[in-house]
Amino acid sequence: MRAAGVVSNYALFGATAQIRYTEPLATLDADVLVTLPDSGRLDILRPLYEFCEAGGYPIEGEAIRVGAWPVQFIPVFNTLTGEALEQAETADFDGVPFRVVGAAHLAVIALSVGRGKDYARILALLESGAVTREEIAALASRHGLAEAWIRFKRRFVDE
Amino acid sequence: MNDIPEMLDRQAAWQRSRRLLPWPVKIRMAEMAREAIKQLRDDGARSKPRKDDAR
Repeated sequence: MRAAGVVSNYALFGATAQIRYTEPLATLDADVLVTLPDSGRLDILRPLYEFCEAGGYPIEGEAIRVGAWPVQFIPVFNTLTGEALEQAETADFDGVPFRVVGAAHLAVIALSVGRGKDYARILALLESGAVTREEIAALASRHGLAEAWIRFKRRFVDE
Repeated sequence: MNDIPEMLDRQAAWQRSRRLLPWPVKIRMAEMAREAIKQLRDDGARSKPRKDDAR
């Protein structure tokens, strides 16, 4: 997709990225952060959907079916996700290099979303040792989430 | 009864050890869990009593 100019960059995030560091967990879909070439269109994901459909990957609602997985492509939506994408790591998936968002960014994106399952994600990443409290605190602070981190820590980590 | 805390510790250690599996292996485990959840959801939806079944 990068070679075809449909996306400028991509990285896996969400639960399927978290599984790199933690125990496996059940998830219904795979999320991929993308940056897209500036097309000036309002429906910015349309060329991506058309490209996938032409390649034999069917559209299912908001997602595109790739093998067993519905894959959702999410354009970067703030400086935090933009940075997460830029600084993503390249992981090996059965010999195939794959860009994946790193543990600290996964934790802070989860903090910014703030649902129960996102909090569980932060705790799992901390428990796995993939990221430290200090790393989360520093990154959260740089992205205006210092208060959210303090509240989370008080509620789930300190007690 | 006294064995239970020890057994739970062993179980927790076993569960934690799954973290160390290679990423592709863990993704495939998640894939299996996903299929099982879908199956349960589908079965649940099929067996859900309809309103008029309650009469």
